[in-house]
Amino acid sequence: MSRYALTVAILTTLVLALAILSLAAGPAGIGVTQGLSDMLHGRATIAATIIGQIRLPRMILALLIGATLGLSGAALQGLVRNPLADPGVLGISGCGALGAVLVFYTGVSAVWAPALPLAALSGAGLATLLLLVLTRGGTLVLVLAGAALGSMSAALLALTLNLVPSPYASYEIMHWLMGSLSRASQQDVLIAMPGLLIGSALLFSTGRSLDALTLGEDVAQTMGFSLRVVQWRVVIGTALAVGSGVAVAGGIGFVGLVMPHLLRPLAGARPSRLLLPSALGGAALLLAADLFVRLPVSGAELQLGVVTSLIGTPVFFWQVWRLRGRPV
Amino acid sequence: MILQTDTISLTLQGNRLLNDIALEVRPGEVLGLIGPNGAGKSTLLRVMAGLLRPDTGCVFLDGRDLFTMPPEERGRHLAYLPQEAPASIGMSVRDVVALGRLPHRRTASAQQDAAAVRQALDAVGMSAFADRSSARLSGGERARILLARALAVQAPVMLADEPVAALDPAQALTVMNLFGQYAAQGQAVAVVLHDLALAARFCTRIAVLSEGCLVGIGTPAEVLTDALFAEVYGVAVRRCGEVAVPWSLVASTRRP
Repeated sequence: MSRYALTVAILTTLVLALAILSLAAGPAGIGVTQGLSDMLHGRATIAATIIGQIRLPRMILALLIGATLGLSGAALQGLVRNPLADPGVLGISGCGALGAVLVFYTGVSAVWAPALPLAALSGAGLATLLLLVLTRGGTLVLVLAGAALGSMSAALLALTLNLVPSPYASYEIMHWLMGSLSRASQQDVLIAMPGLLIGSALLFSTGRSLDALTLGEDVAQTMGFSLRVVQWRVVIGTALAVGSGVAVAGGIGFVGLVMPHLLRPLAGARPSRLLLPSALGGAALLLAADLFVRLPVSGAELQLGVVTSLIGTPVFFWQVWRLRGRPV
Repeated sequence: MILQTDTISLTLQGNRLLNDIALEVRPGEVLGLIGPNGAGKSTLLRVMAGLLRPDTGCVFLDGRDLFTMPPEERGRHLAYLPQEAPASIGMSVRDVVALGRLPHRRTASAQQDAAAVRQALDAVGMSAFADRSSARLSGGERARILLARALAVQAPVMLADEPVAALDPAQALTVMNLFGQYAAQGQAVAVVLHDLALAARFCTRIAVLSEGCLVGIGTPAEVLTDALFAEVYGVAVRRCGEVAVPWSLVASTRRP
């Protein structure tokens, strides 16, 4: 078995194990198998309700959002050929959150539910597009543009919080921005699923083009790969995946940065070979983090986005440490 | 396969870069593209590779318009080796060379791909490095694996932009020999060169560009004359045997 196949096999097992644990974990002591079978047979038991309406949506969203975050990080890093690319670091998640908060704040989402994911998608999409337009100049410009976008979305989010009339609403928004799956519902799954799945399919389709791009844009083009096509696939795929995730779970950062970085030594440096392991790793990381926040550590439940950021920041520092002194 | 440019012209941002250039690269030959800096050599090569569309004129590959050919098919017919190496690749040497097989992903078997990669690695003498990370190679070694990537395409037309610019004489000879062998197998090769001694030694024909115009084309003996050196490069040469050595600047109104 090759190292790549072994990595994928181990990660798949890990994701499955964590998914089962995620269904089993919770304050109500119910049998998972009993609950699942009740649910599938349409028996309205307490176990079926808890599994079907609380734990299953939470597990599915943690798995899918984690996977698409890992995947979009790997695809973005391949596209811009920079190990610091990540939807959070580049301000894409922040702009998605800004879009979501705006419809939240104006009350549009209360009238028309799809407005929330659509606004998050638009925010994430515009940010990615802007990055691509601005970053024809290379790595340094990309990181600066990402920092600018991140600061802009943070400033506008702060402005929104500032203008929110009631302190309770501003607390709600703040809490949501920290990222959480604790209130994930079946409706959230329905809202996020299409974007997450279509986005992932688009991102997975870029593998060979990303491989070709490692040789530079010109060579990729002479080998029959259009830079424009792969850019659009990554932009739309990232916007769909990150926007949908942000819409239901708020801001969850650093998964896309951490996973490709941790898995590169195992899966190899070929961008196409990094997509699937990064998706699996992202799913495992978010499932594990979501299990961790459910542990009764401090009384208050930790927010999911806070945990992923605490895991991700050291990896970010480690990357910066590795890249120090290199010419940009 | 024969690659022809039919009186192509190109203006970018108000600068006339190429002016009515008509030439062809024939199977079995190494065509050298020479000329001073800024003469349009690399631009011409990029047009020939399908990377830049000319304003007027066409590029034909065996009589078919290069710019209407399906990109994947074009990728199998043309191998392009740019001047700048990508910053960092990080993959194993074998994986880098195997990227050259991407245009064949729907037409070749895994065995054919593996054989082409092995052959290309052998040709550049890097077989022993196949499993090493390409991030840990010297400049010359990197240049050779990128050349091996282009060879692995096994395209009937090879276009290389200053492939020996950063190489020592031994490496440069190795690379130019490879192009010679490639052409000897019936493939068409066009190479942008600055080293006129290498051009004289390895090219079947030489095309001279100056300020976007084709000012001469023919065998090295026909083209590399004292008059050409004075006119195009603004230098007077001394002959050491067959080699012309640039010796002094000539007073010229054309070049500052």
